[in-house]
Amino acid sequence: MWSELRELRDGIDLGTPPRDGVNVSLTIDGVPVTVPSGSSVMLAAAVAGKAVPKLCATDTLEAFGSCRVCLVEVEGRRGYPASCTTLVEDGMVVRTDSEKLSALRRGVLELYLSDFPAEDVEGGWSEFHETLRQCGVSSHPYGEGETHLHSPVDVSNPYFLFDPAKCIVCSRCVRACEEIQGTFALTVDGRGFESRIVAGQDQPFFESECVSCGACVQACPSQALIEKSLFEGGYRHG
Amino acid sequence: MANPIKPDRSVITTCAYCGVGCGFKAETYQGRVVRMIPWKEGKANHGHSCVKGRFAFDYYQHPDRVRTPLIRRSIEEPWREVGWDEAIRHAASELRRIQAKYGKKSVGAVSSSRCTNEEIFLVQKLARAVLGNNNIDNCARICHSPTQFGLSATVGWGAASQHFDSILQADVIMVVGANPTEGHPVFGSLIKRRVRQGATLIVIDPRHTETVDSAHCRATVHLALRPGTNVAVLDSIAHVIVREGLFNERFVRDRCEWDEFEGWSALVSSDRYAPERIGPEAGIAAEDIRRAARLYAGGPNSAIYYGLGVTEHSQGSTGVMCLGNLALACGMLGREGVGVNPLRGQGNVQGGSCLGSWPHVFSGYRFVTDPDVRGSFERDWGVTLDDEPGLRLPNMFDAALTGHFRGMYIMGEDPVQSDPNQQHVIAAMRNMECVVLQDLFLNETSRYAHVFLPGSSSLEKEGTFTSAERRVNRVRKVVEPLAGHQDWEIVVKLMNALGYPAQYAHAGEILDEIARLSPAYKGLSFALLDRIGSAQWPCDENAPEGTEVLHKVSFPRANGRGTFMLTEYVPTVERISDRYPLLLTTGRILSQYNVGTQTRRTANSLWHPEDLLEIHSEDAKSRGIADGELVTVTSKFGSTRLRAKFSQRVNPGIVYTTFHHAQSKANVLTSDLSDWATNCPEYKVTAVEVARVAAPQERAAACRNETAAVEEATA
Repeated sequence: MWSELRELRDGIDLGTPPRDGVNVSLTIDGVPVTVPSGSSVMLAAAVAGKAVPKLCATDTLEAFGSCRVCLVEVEGRRGYPASCTTLVEDGMVVRTDSEKLSALRRGVLELYLSDFPAEDVEGGWSEFHETLRQCGVSSHPYGEGETHLHSPVDVSNPYFLFDPAKCIVCSRCVRACEEIQGTFALTVDGRGFESRIVAGQDQPFFESECVSCGACVQACPSQALIEKSLFEGGYRHG
Repeated sequence: MANPIKPDRSVITTCAYCGVGCGFKAETYQGRVVRMIPWKEGKANHGHSCVKGRFAFDYYQHPDRVRTPLIRRSIEEPWREVGWDEAIRHAASELRRIQAKYGKKSVGAVSSSRCTNEEIFLVQKLARAVLGNNNIDNCARICHSPTQFGLSATVGWGAASQHFDSILQADVIMVVGANPTEGHPVFGSLIKRRVRQGATLIVIDPRHTETVDSAHCRATVHLALRPGTNVAVLDSIAHVIVREGLFNERFVRDRCEWDEFEGWSALVSSDRYAPERIGPEAGIAAEDIRRAARLYAGGPNSAIYYGLGVTEHSQGSTGVMCLGNLALACGMLGREGVGVNPLRGQGNVQGGSCLGSWPHVFSGYRFVTDPDVRGSFERDWGVTLDDEPGLRLPNMFDAALTGHFRGMYIMGEDPVQSDPNQQHVIAAMRNMECVVLQDLFLNETSRYAHVFLPGSSSLEKEGTFTSAERRVNRVRKVVEPLAGHQDWEIVVKLMNALGYPAQYAHAGEILDEIARLSPAYKGLSFALLDRIGSAQWPCDENAPEGTEVLHKVSFPRANGRGTFMLTEYVPTVERISDRYPLLLTTGRILSQYNVGTQTRRTANSLWHPEDLLEIHSEDAKSRGIADGELVTVTSKFGSTRLRAKFSQRVNPGIVYTTFHHAQSKANVLTSDLSDWATNCPEYKVTAVEVARVAAPQERAAACRNETAAVEEATA
């Protein structure tokens, strides 16, 4: 009924919202774990102490399955399902780590990095940075190409800014605005490389229907949306 | 490099703003608060926040903060900076001098719902045990005193029956005289979440508020009633429920007195409360009243949430009783997903109510006239206490005008801006010989004060707040007090200087004293709160970690049963006339908080730099008023200027403004009418007229042009 709110814990991200269902038992990397039905494999892995690397998932939002970082192997299933959108089943046997999985995650993260400010990879402390470290990725093999690194920063809100250069278009901000705040001020506009986060009718945040609740800033894993108060002497871009 | 600084420390504390009571992690960097992160384990917010709590914290280090005590002999003189000892000594000797000259009861104290429970408790102790009278009141007088009275009368306790998460099990949500998405935004988001999940929303509010209609959240029924007709409309809803047999007979028979129910149902089922009679009077469709009644009674789980739109009326207490009656009649109490819940404006209105900041009751709403209760306090405090109830805040001002009341200690309150009929309050203030004000900033009231004691923000002190859901949350010191002392320490200094030895090693010892002397708080301590995060009162041996839902088995009344109160509708005498043909009502906006002391000193003012007068374009055009134009608003009591904003949110005949800016002087307009039972002012209904400010000059200009034209023609 309300476990998705009441079972949240400070400092722990289960990846997907906690559920109320009956017990389901499975093993993650050989560790037996029991979680309520309706839980994701990602949540079970976190409970088992085998947290899967992730970007677009967080336990305050419903699973979305867009970043392709949280892939796992499930015995008896083909392919590499996303652990955030795969629900637990009794007797499931899950592997969160293998050479193949590492290679897949590395490939995805390198692509993200190819469109992220290189000078901000070192010394960063966002969830994105944590995931990079978790997967041992710190650079990418791609040459120069089209990027979002020089997109203008939206500094219209007095309290937070939006730097598209750091945005990985995981949609967590959009979903936080909808699911948590209920304002529906944000959307992803365009497709593929063109996709970007837009406030209101493609307006600056301050002029849109954004109510500045901070849910998007809280949800952003890559510090593309971030409090201005954390930059002494202003924000320097690119 | 565009990497942000990484905060080096974080402290879990409670938001200083509204009654939702969100938990925050206050993060600091090199001793400065740099960000407030909503706490995922906060029981009210679960990691969510609003623009006030999340971002508007910088007021705490605003240059306007007073950092040194100030005194002056008369209010005509400039302030003089002095040390703490001198200021406290001066305040104490003045209060004692006044008592010696005019009598023990010539002084009193007022505390604020922005203070902690510990501070509120100490201030009433100062009045009762040290000043020796019961002249103690708090600002809940002007907002939720009818809640205290009306809910106690019907269900036994003047407090929310539920916890906030309970709404996730409600099928029908009825919001009355409240605009949660603006006033209580984090709870507003929870309402919207539940409505998106399929719950039905009923809103009773004169204004087409943001709560009525927003993205993917629309009220099924909106009763846009004329201000002042709450009781009529609620009685009419009851009329439908009784006449159509929609009440829960089993609940009434099991949990209430049947003959009392019969008395009540005879009243409300009278023809005069038929929707076809009340609808036209309230300006709403009879059929909508019937729909609201059927939806509410149908549940299966219906929950009522209400705000100042119910209480701040001459029949405020009656309005609250109407809500209690409805819930009892339909059996909407005592389980998850139902209930009657006041939405409290300030962070600690519930605490202010609980902890004896009233002239007639000690903490736990126990009468000062009761010798047993008084005895328990006398033994703990070691003094004899006055058995006569003291003065209410408005009566203190009245007594000041007649010269019987000459000195006042005010903590964290700005009555000159926030109390009704401002001219009257100012005249009363001017008549006092010593006003001691303790606050963060100089304000409207400090113009009339003689001693100013610089207080501490909630980021600078230890204590607890009790939120609108009865939840006692910990307030923790994040940074050192800017002026040197936490507020409770200042009260202790004043008590000592007045000759009463009080000593507390830390604020937790005050909570221990509260627990010792207040049954509902009996099990509370800093240790418990540090261990489990927070707890809803009653918290005692039967409920060692608190109580989420009240009234599950019985009601906290002598016979354990709910009571139906007779709620005859008596229209307010504040009515429109030819001279004042519009009704003014007031409310809040998201970005600002109450009289704006804090939020006006942050970037939140970018969203709301001034209070606007919402007016329907019909009313505006008939007065020649253009959108965005400065207008004069005049009532019987006074006049002020505001910028007009054309708005479809108000019906013709109604105008609306917020009250966040001192220069708007909304309370110059408001009447001196108040709730019949509790004196809560009738802020929500004032007859006014609105006129263009530019009119005289333009008329003069037009006149000149006419004269010129005539001269030209005759030349």
